[in-house]
Amino acid sequence: MRVILESKVRAKPNLPIEAEAIIPRNFLKGTDLLVYEGNKERTLSELFWIFVEGTAVSPENIEVILKGDTSRIKRVGEYMDTGSIVIEGDIGMHCGNFMSGGTIEIRGNADSWLGREMRGGTILCRGNASHYCATGYRGEKKGMQGGKVEVFGSTGDFCAEYLAGGTVHIHGSAGDFPGVEMRGGELIIEGDATRPCGNMKSGSCVILGTVHDMLPTFEKTRQRVLPEWKITADVYKGDVANRGKGTLCVRS
Amino acid sequence: MIIHDVICPFCGCLCDDLELECEGGKIIKVQNGCALAESTFMTDTRLPAPIRRTESGWEEISYNEAIKETAEILQGADRPLLYGWSSTHGEAQSVGVHIAELIGAVIDNTSTVCHGPSILAIQEVGHPGCTLGQVKNRADVIIYWGCNPIEAHPRHMSRYTTYATGFFVPDAQRERTVIVVDTRRTDTAGIADEFVQIEHGGDYAVLSALRAIVRGKASVIPAKVAGVSKEQLIRIAEICKTAKFGAIFFGLGLTMSRGKYKNIRNAIELTDELNRHTKFVISPLRGHGNVYGSNEVFTWMTGYPFAVDFARGIAFYNPGETTAVDILRRGECDAALIVASDPGANFPRAAAAHLAKIPTVVIDPHVNATTALARIHIPCTAAGIDAAGTAYRMDGVPIRLKKVIDRGYPDDAEILKKIYDRLNGGKGP
Repeated sequence: MRVILESKVRAKPNLPIEAEAIIPRNFLKGTDLLVYEGNKERTLSELFWIFVEGTAVSPENIEVILKGDTSRIKRVGEYMDTGSIVIEGDIGMHCGNFMSGGTIEIRGNADSWLGREMRGGTILCRGNASHYCATGYRGEKKGMQGGKVEVFGSTGDFCAEYLAGGTVHIHGSAGDFPGVEMRGGELIIEGDATRPCGNMKSGSCVILGTVHDMLPTFEKTRQRVLPEWKITADVYKGDVANRGKGTLCVRS
Repeated sequence: MIIHDVICPFCGCLCDDLELECEGGKIIKVQNGCALAESTFMTDTRLPAPIRRTESGWEEISYNEAIKETAEILQGADRPLLYGWSSTHGEAQSVGVHIAELIGAVIDNTSTVCHGPSILAIQEVGHPGCTLGQVKNRADVIIYWGCNPIEAHPRHMSRYTTYATGFFVPDAQRERTVIVVDTRRTDTAGIADEFVQIEHGGDYAVLSALRAIVRGKASVIPAKVAGVSKEQLIRIAEICKTAKFGAIFFGLGLTMSRGKYKNIRNAIELTDELNRHTKFVISPLRGHGNVYGSNEVFTWMTGYPFAVDFARGIAFYNPGETTAVDILRRGECDAALIVASDPGANFPRAAAAHLAKIPTVVIDPHVNATTALARIHIPCTAAGIDAAGTAYRMDGVPIRLKKVIDRGYPDDAEILKKIYDRLNGGKGP
């Protein structure tokens, strides 16, 4: 089954919409869902043109497609466990929060907190992701714990903060402090990064581009050939400020 | 008439030993205060009555009319923002939180542009702090990091640190070692025993290096970290480790530079590391007189210290998403109520520009830069001058602000209560 949601033109287009109701499982029972626009509750049909094609008996066969101006829609795919969501343009904050299964594909850019506290499943972002991509909530000890986030563009600051499990793959560059407070999982940055892995405890990070302002508290141990990336990398252990046992590989 | 033990409401020090001489409802002399205190008590740029912007300029309106229009603006909004709160007393702040909950607004205080990052760091790793009295009586090593108390908190050093005689530090000036860390040689750096000049944005690296050195991992550290020599870092670490009682004070040089809350987190974790050797504490130097109080009031009422979003009826907190600057910059909010602060002067241009586009109401004793962006300005009492109330000092000690004179203005808590009543169909908070 395909559910196509095309955003309607709004009087105040900057108002954020909180739409954690948009997950494939919810469309099994119909499209009578509630979302918030600013401090007002709205039905899905007040904000979207809804088209349903075919039927489904189980949620894994449901595909939700978002069209139009979706850049201010927050929490799409929150607690999603199966099925798929395709966003044809940009998406707002907190897309794929706490996601445990299924696939989200964003053809445009993603706003901050993409895949926050994700447990499983896959997020593909064809454009750029903003700050706090694949991280946790404020003050939380664990960020993303499983699954895969792949960003084909670049990310903002604090990408993969508190990463505890799963894989984060950035094809472009990351901003300031990628992998800060990392305690597990795998972070791959194909482009450049600034001050990577500050205060990391565990986990591994590979950076293929240039590292700016490398932190002084990483201990260079040896060189290693990384066949999957066809490079020779310097292997650092750290963060020694923190008794950390993480691995940071930077192209030699 | 001379009034003793007056509390100065200007900065987070809340000095409580001022003497004011009043005559005929006017303050004519301020004693014991710093230059900032004197200016706080002596200058007054209050409007005689509320004003409303018209097409041809400003017109005076009555308080009732101003309150009615403010309530209408807030009632009709889809994403109202209530911002400020840090220069007024806790009584007004609590009414503000009630209004936010009632109308589904976002309420934020000035921490968002000053020590918000400190709060984020404290939420991650805790706060090893103490009251200023402890510092005064015990601390023999003082570190000022990214702050300039001589200009911003002029009496901090004479009341609590460098020049204050303490019970266990009787000869303060000789017994206390002062370390100043900054990107430039400030006035405070001039009186430091050790001045550490770091490159812009190098705080995080220097703090990490110090942590490693304190842990005995000096061998990893390169010869220079962000412009600071390894020798100096080792010397500083040694001074800290051999201290009887150390206190770190930090300012916006640490919270608002590159890395933000990660800088503070690193400083807290350095304090944590030093506590394996001696007693060390860390505290932010708070700016506005009652900004700590706004964090306290917000926390006991909503569970969060700033940037609380009530849009869905329950409190949601996520700095970066629900902070005033971000909401304004993204053009989300469609009405704003600014109380006891001046975002027009302190916010980034894009954020301030949005305030001018939407109906903005200012409730503040003084005309300020935000008035120029506002639709309505309602003058009120100034907490600590012509209104009494509770304020919290920068170390979390509540102090009762005194009412020293009467100028006939209504208290901002009263104005806010009337707005609440109108929004709630006549029922008070």
